[in-house]
Amino acid sequence: MAGIESRADLRWGPFGSMARAQYAALASMRWSMFRNSQRTTRGAMELGARTVAFAFYFLFGLALGAGFGGGTYAIAASGKWELLSGLFWALFVMWQVVPVTLASFQEHFDMGGLLRFPIGFGTFFLLHLIFGLVDASTMMGGLCCVGIWVGMMFARPDLFASTAVVVAIFAAFNILLVRAIAAWMDRWLAQRRTREIVGALFFVGLLFLQLLNPAYWSSQKHPHMSSRTRAEGLRWLNKANSVQHWLPPGLAALDLQRSAAARPLAAMEAASLLGIYVLGVGGVLGMRLRGEYHGENFGDAPARRRAERRTRSWLLDGSGPMAAVLEKEARVLTRAMPLIYALAAPLLMVFLLSGLFANRGGGQGSISSFSLMVALAYALVGFTQLFYNNLGPEGPGIQLLFLSPTPMRTVMMAKNLFHMLLFSVDAVLVCFLASLRIGGWPAPAAIAATFAWLLFALPVHLAAGNLFSLNMPYRMNLGRITRQRGSQVSALLSMLIQLGVLGIGVGILVVCAYFHRLWLAVPVFLVLAAGAFIAWMRVLNSIDGIAARRRETLLATLVRTD
Amino acid sequence: MEIAAIQTRGLTRLFGELTAVDAVTFSVAQGQFFGFLGPNGAGKSTTIKMLTGLLEPSAGTVEILGKAFTAASLDLKRQIGVVPEGMALFGRLTAPEYLRFVGRMYGLDRETTNQRTDELLDFMQLSDETRKLITDFSHGMQKKLALAAAVIHGPKVLFLDEPFEGVDAIAAGMLKSMLQRMISRGATIFLTTHVLEIVERLCSHVAIISQGRLVANGSIEELRAGVASSLPGSEASQRLTLEEIFLSIVGAVGQDAAQELSWLA
Repeated sequence: MAGIESRADLRWGPFGSMARAQYAALASMRWSMFRNSQRTTRGAMELGARTVAFAFYFLFGLALGAGFGGGTYAIAASGKWELLSGLFWALFVMWQVVPVTLASFQEHFDMGGLLRFPIGFGTFFLLHLIFGLVDASTMMGGLCCVGIWVGMMFARPDLFASTAVVVAIFAAFNILLVRAIAAWMDRWLAQRRTREIVGALFFVGLLFLQLLNPAYWSSQKHPHMSSRTRAEGLRWLNKANSVQHWLPPGLAALDLQRSAAARPLAAMEAASLLGIYVLGVGGVLGMRLRGEYHGENFGDAPARRRAERRTRSWLLDGSGPMAAVLEKEARVLTRAMPLIYALAAPLLMVFLLSGLFANRGGGQGSISSFSLMVALAYALVGFTQLFYNNLGPEGPGIQLLFLSPTPMRTVMMAKNLFHMLLFSVDAVLVCFLASLRIGGWPAPAAIAATFAWLLFALPVHLAAGNLFSLNMPYRMNLGRITRQRGSQVSALLSMLIQLGVLGIGVGILVVCAYFHRLWLAVPVFLVLAAGAFIAWMRVLNSIDGIAARRRETLLATLVRTD
Repeated sequence: MEIAAIQTRGLTRLFGELTAVDAVTFSVAQGQFFGFLGPNGAGKSTTIKMLTGLLEPSAGTVEILGKAFTAASLDLKRQIGVVPEGMALFGRLTAPEYLRFVGRMYGLDRETTNQRTDELLDFMQLSDETRKLITDFSHGMQKKLALAAAVIHGPKVLFLDEPFEGVDAIAAGMLKSMLQRMISRGATIFLTTHVLEIVERLCSHVAIISQGRLVANGSIEELRAGVASSLPGSEASQRLTLEEIFLSIVGAVGQDAAQELSWLA
């Protein structure tokens, strides 16, 4: 092969001439893809939506960064260095949680397609880090790091260099950890058995956390027990404090504390330990990426016990296309980690956030009147992909839906019914979680109003979701949780609709609560629900026409394999 | 006069300024095994998509079994089976689940669907893989499953877009015999493939499309006679293979590839 021989001068490795040429080719390819995407209206809309989303992330990150900066300044200026680790822990939690909450709304580049090229592992690893580096968590985390650095600069200019180094190492640790967690989650949850175990652990974890809530409230009711519990808690806190010094956020704080105390060697020791953590997390990520690099397929199913053949009788195993679609949706959902994850993640967030409403009283007009509505609205976020991109999981199977003699209206109706059923289950769980966390139920009128609002909210989302699914579809990779290719326009608009629906609900509740007529919200929501239901039916009736017009775009978007 | 299984008149498809299929008119009689050939990018897949309702023609008409066919012709859709380019599979289902889903989407009752599912899985030698997700199937297995799904409702007209691509020799032989059996029972098969030996062995009639235009249409003998008449040496031309006929018609004969790409080893 004369051509290859003539390029024997090429040096391999992540920074070799070959790799540099590949980086350039990839950058050029990404630029071409970006430029070509602007040829269509949808591409331009995507760019607009992405700009808006990133402006939002940036501003949010800037505000957070200012907060972290202020906090650092206050701590350093007052010399209360023991509080600094709290700041780093907060940053650590934020950095790791943001990708969880925004997983559905971020675009990722699938590196698997590059494996056909002669790319070394180092290059593959580096590319994995570089691509998608400008995501929400890195941007916000990075701005917070800058905030800490600036805050320290103002309080202790002499720590300018050491703060920069520590903050940079801490940022590297967080970036690698986010990637490592995502990569390993994808791998583990690709297997059915692991999915079941993780699912069970998740729910056991939630139940366990529930126990903390009654325990806390009972301690509040008995002050003498509370002081004992407090003492016990303090003892545990001290123990935890001695442990956290050995963990990355604690080490970062410790390093700065030691630098401030003019103990450079001790500071270097903490920084070195932090560096070891970085290498460790990098190694963990590398192990996973090596598997991918060697061509591992996330679609790999677990080993089967035996090839058996049986016809399971299903609850939905009736004849007819409607039952067929319902059954298919149920089966696909149980094997589609991105969807299960999207449904489960809000439950966790509801658990965490509903604590904000805790012990605020249950009377009319109290904040807990809105608690269920807000919790349910958050649970609806988990259904964004199901509602607003309900054809996305079909992939090439979308062709069958067009080839078969079943009208698309029937297919969409079945999907909507399935999603409603699923949401009902989720809503019961959410209400259960929220009530346990809040420590009681809101007033009956608030509960009735919330459910009346739900009767309004669901048809709105289903109607809008059907339209979005046909007009702005995007293909979902059901073998992965992270690194999905989404649509920023769809995500942004669907979030706006969700906020609008919640805003209407809260607005009406606020007005009714202001006049001490909370029950009045029920008929208002029911009237809105009737309107929404009619709109949903009208959308369903127009589905076949829209599907016929959008057929080619749907097929081109969902069938493609790139 | 017998009703044609497939009849197109002036079938045209434009993509912007590109004419992918240009006024294609042909007819496929019932019970015919019809091969639709053409070089890459000639318009084969576009044509088959228009014939099956996956793509709307820019102009022209399609009739299936004597009735005008559009994407909304649900009754006619029951009469046709399709193995499209992307195979139309749902990766997160198992093969029996998929076939049962397809059967019910085509209006079969549960009992018939289950029975045919079992028979088809046996026939396609997929019955040992009933717990495996389709996404974990090899390409050939996916092709077999796609073909099983295309015939589960007993279609009268079958459209196959590259059905033998990636299928091993044993499975290909099995599929060929199945298709021939369908023909002997009166079904019509419209086949596109690049494997000309298969077309030569199976198809009674062939149409060739090149650059969006239909450049030949008839029985293989008619095409052979047509090409032979334009070539010197009538004895040799009588033994023309379909590949030679095809190359002659699409104008690829005489291209000397050897002089190109001199850097290749």
